[in-house]
Amino acid sequence: MKELFPIKQVMGFAFSLILTAVALLVYFLDMSFTAGITILLVTAFIQAGLQLVVFMHAGETEDKGAIYSNVYFGILVALVTIFGTLLIFVWDM
Amino acid sequence: MKIDHSLPLEYSTEENRLKIFGFWIFLGAEIMLFATLFTSYFVYEHRTGNGPSGAEIFEITPVLMETILLLASSFTIGLGIHAMRLGKQKAMMTFFSVTLVLGLGFLGFEIFEFVTYIHEGAGLSTSGFTSMLLTTLGTHGLHVTFGFFWGLSIILQVKKRGLTPETANKSFIFSLYWHFLDVVWIFIFSFIYLKGMM
Repeated sequence: MKELFPIKQVMGFAFSLILTAVALLVYFLDMSFTAGITILLVTAFIQAGLQLVVFMHAGETEDKGAIYSNVYFGILVALVTIFGTLLIFVWDM
Repeated sequence: MKIDHSLPLEYSTEENRLKIFGFWIFLGAEIMLFATLFTSYFVYEHRTGNGPSGAEIFEITPVLMETILLLASSFTIGLGIHAMRLGKQKAMMTFFSVTLVLGLGFLGFEIFEFVTYIHEGAGLSTSGFTSMLLTTLGTHGLHVTFGFFWGLSIILQVKKRGLTPETANKSFIFSLYWHFLDVVWIFIFSFIYLKGMM
């Protein structure tokens, strides 16, 4: 039975729950917008990274380099699209 | 077909390895799909017109339940793949089934949430905000719905054919898809719900 619950994945799950609890602080505590968004950015990206490495086995094979490049490029284009659009349409710069 | 026994079953042939890599490329495109939805959501977030704002319609309880259910399902499918690598088909089937049940629970809460929104006057065409909110949540929800039926077919096929390089590969790719849906949910939870309720 014990071999079915590898410590790495159990720890990954526990850590995800902790990060979710930390993110919830922005709801339960009264804090500034900047502080809140900073907490959310940190917890969300750590949790996403955790999924990728612990659960999706992204770095296990010889395709490791190509898989990570592909993910990084996807994230880069996503961030440029989101922040570029915000810059033009919301922040009026 | 050359089978390399030093590798887990799902990676054991050249074709399997390429299929997994190909699915990662598809996930790259999925990142962009959700990025464009998030972009539009952030642009329309405060354009509420005569409709309600996020702070008025978001409720923490169902959102938290959805988060925990999806997070737990991502954990159980991870355990399912671990069991598959140990060659324990029965344990794998149990974990996959638990995953799908948790996924159904998630969908139940989400449907309940959508019905509540509509009752509160936050329909698809109420305002820029509700329109993009429902489109973004709906796209994720449709992915989970599709994943449920995909996972069900995987379970049936493994049951019928047993663990072969082919079925193991399909199961692994399905697990990548399911984990990815949890990643997207983390961003929806953080930057749509929590940000809206802050």
